[in-house]
Amino acid sequence: MNQHTALLDVRDLVVRYGAVTAVDHVSFTVDAGETLALNGPSGCGKSSTVAAVLQLRRPENGSVRFEGRELTTLSERELRPLRPRMQPVFQDPYGSLSPRHRIRDAVAEPLRVQGRWDAAGPARVAALLDRVGLDPAYGDRFPHELSGGQCQRAGIARALASEPRLLVLDEPVSALDPSVRAGVLNLLADLQDDLGLAYLFICHDRAVVRHFADRAVEMRGGRLVPA
Amino acid sequence: MRQAVGKSVGPAGPTRFLCLLAVLAAVGLLPWFSGRDPALTVLRARSAEQEATPEALAAIREDLGLGAGPLSLLGRWASGLLRGDLGTSWVSGTEVLPSVVSGLQVSLGLMGAAFAVAVLLACALVAPVLVRGRGTAGAFAAMLAAVPEFLLATVALLVCGVWLGLLPTSGWAGPAYLVLPAVALGVPAGGLLGRLVADALPAVLDERWVELWRGAGVGRARVAAAALRRVLPPLVPQFGMAAVGLTGSAVAVETVFAVPGIGRTALGAAKSQDLPLLQGSVLALLALGLVAGALAALVRRRLLGPALRDAGLTLPAARPFRTRPALPLTLAVLLGVTIGWGLLRDPYAVDTTARLLPPSWAHPLGTDGLGRDVLARLGHGAATTVGTAAAVCALSLLAALALGFLPRVAEGASDIANALPPVIAGILVAAAAGPGTRGAALAVALISWPPLAAHAAALVQEVRASTFLTAQRAIGASPWWILTRHVLPSVAAPVTRHAVLRLPGIALALASLGFLGLGAQPPTPEWGLLLDESRAYVERAPWAALAPAVALALLAGLAVSGSAATRGRTRRNGSARAGRPRTDDKDRPRHPKAPAGGRDGDDETLAGAPHA
Repeated sequence: MNQHTALLDVRDLVVRYGAVTAVDHVSFTVDAGETLALNGPSGCGKSSTVAAVLQLRRPENGSVRFEGRELTTLSERELRPLRPRMQPVFQDPYGSLSPRHRIRDAVAEPLRVQGRWDAAGPARVAALLDRVGLDPAYGDRFPHELSGGQCQRAGIARALASEPRLLVLDEPVSALDPSVRAGVLNLLADLQDDLGLAYLFICHDRAVVRHFADRAVEMRGGRLVPA
Repeated sequence: MRQAVGKSVGPAGPTRFLCLLAVLAAVGLLPWFSGRDPALTVLRARSAEQEATPEALAAIREDLGLGAGPLSLLGRWASGLLRGDLGTSWVSGTEVLPSVVSGLQVSLGLMGAAFAVAVLLACALVAPVLVRGRGTAGAFAAMLAAVPEFLLATVALLVCGVWLGLLPTSGWAGPAYLVLPAVALGVPAGGLLGRLVADALPAVLDERWVELWRGAGVGRARVAAAALRRVLPPLVPQFGMAAVGLTGSAVAVETVFAVPGIGRTALGAAKSQDLPLLQGSVLALLALGLVAGALAALVRRRLLGPALRDAGLTLPAARPFRTRPALPLTLAVLLGVTIGWGLLRDPYAVDTTARLLPPSWAHPLGTDGLGRDVLARLGHGAATTVGTAAAVCALSLLAALALGFLPRVAEGASDIANALPPVIAGILVAAAAGPGTRGAALAVALISWPPLAAHAAALVQEVRASTFLTAQRAIGASPWWILTRHVLPSVAAPVTRHAVLRLPGIALALASLGFLGLGAQPPTPEWGLLLDESRAYVERAPWAALAPAVALALLAGLAVSGSAATRGRTRRNGSARAGRPRTDDKDRPRHPKAPAGGRDGDDETLAGAPHA
């Protein structure tokens, strides 16, 4: 019905590892500007779903439509210009940033890769760091010189640099200390209000889901179950 | 990804077998590889008077079966091998097998004696650590392990045999003849063994059970015995490798002391192009190495029993000794100044009126048998030796970086390279291509790239598995961008550092080939060759031998202290990194996301309780 309005439309998604079916005919949609929580215990196939939605691992079956375009049939080369519109934020705040690059360069990299780096680049990076609540002076540091919360903020800044419409948040706060967690969740909520971002929010903490998501679906053993 | 990791960690049995077959085939095909015409060699050896007419040469080629193609050659050799027929020597025309067997008997005796020396020395190095309960064998053991045996053999010959006149220095006629070669062969091996055990001991003595036993009143001797029992099994494979190294060292030591063993036979056969004899003796040396490795594996299994199956007994990380960077820097400056000074002088100027002069202002390190300035030859020799070593190093680095992306190839090759001492590789290459700097460089390069490639492969795997590479694809980065901006920089820097650390070792390997006459040819100044040339008049002009010997010892010291100093530094960096998340907002140490499946405890982790 609402296929023309859905930002992300996943149908009958199947991911198999050899004989093991990790994701078994999963369907859901995410509308522009809304948060859909994908909730479930560990090993239920959430992360495989994320990888398949982001086309980091091609699904065995099913369709992933993003902004009205079918992604599963595109080649890697055709996919590349579309990738910036859909950005992941990973669980491990340190692992998602290259340990060899300064925060500034990590945030600038999407601009460089996507050919949008120009004289205004440094100012844009500073503005992005400021936007996620990091003092731009932190740009000179390396990931291991930041705390987990600061690192996760830098990761979000890097994702924003691609000017996405959908953020795929793969347990973005589960590796963080409870006191830091609220700050990052509030930041995500603010960003959604300001930029009209849609979130696919992977989580296994019901309390966080209730607080944060507009809608929630529950996943068990690779299938969606009634919440 | 997981599967790939699992595969490469598991035993590389088939690759190892294939590599072994390849080495065997290379030995079998030596006559075919050989660039020069062996028929000429054989003709010269059999009858010096006969004219080298085309007919005579063709007859000999027919006789040797060189006319046939490589496959039939290999087939004939392999079938002969299975029947226990190693062919007949091209030079003497006698059966190869008896010479190989008699050489093997002598070498086994020598190696047994050397092994005894090694074990005694290792005990002497380990004992203080056991008694004190802490400390390491330290720099001394590392130095002993790094001294090349050809250098040790020459010095032992000079000091004990010539100056003190205590022991016979050449031949094989009784137990007294055994002493010097066994010491020269056993000391580096003993240094290595002692160092391995002594470095691993302190960490083991810090384990909880030691405290518990002591608290329960168990005697020191029993604790020490138990600690040794705990340390030895994981080190046994390394002992096997040390035994393999002995087969290579035997070539140099047997040559210096004129011991009629299998190593000297192989070297002689390589120099005289007597390929059947060479094939037989190299095969015997390889077999010795393989048997040593198999014995080590057997001993380890006996010692460990069921614990091996459970992979339950791993040693705590050894605490390597550290050196201040001042030591390697001093050594490097000392070598650099000597070399720089020597480079300003002429290494080829022959002055027969100034033969074998002692050190003076005109010749700071004296002159050699042709009246050439030793300092000049040392300086220019460094350019040859270290320059070639740098080229070999760069070549190995490139090969390692290219092949690091194929982990299984790297691993199998690295196994064989471990089983093949540089000297034997040098003999094989020299037999195929003739002795020369290029052949020696090729031989050393052949066995120096696999460890680097294994290192590179491990790093590539680590980087490829990391989340930040996935994040690269997500921003739309091309594979080329990911390779050049992320994978290569993460891999190239550590592997390059590793390669630089191996430079002195590679230079020593080249020098040992030069010493054996398999590398640079006279009158090229090359350190190994300098040492070899000076042996002839060592009684009259010991300084001519002393200069290259000291230079090589400095190089060995540089190899050890340089890597120790760097290791200390990287460890410090590592610990700084490990303690990093404790900055301001008190969050937990990084908790990398495990692969999906088997993460049952995650809900608890999220609650933040267990680690807080």
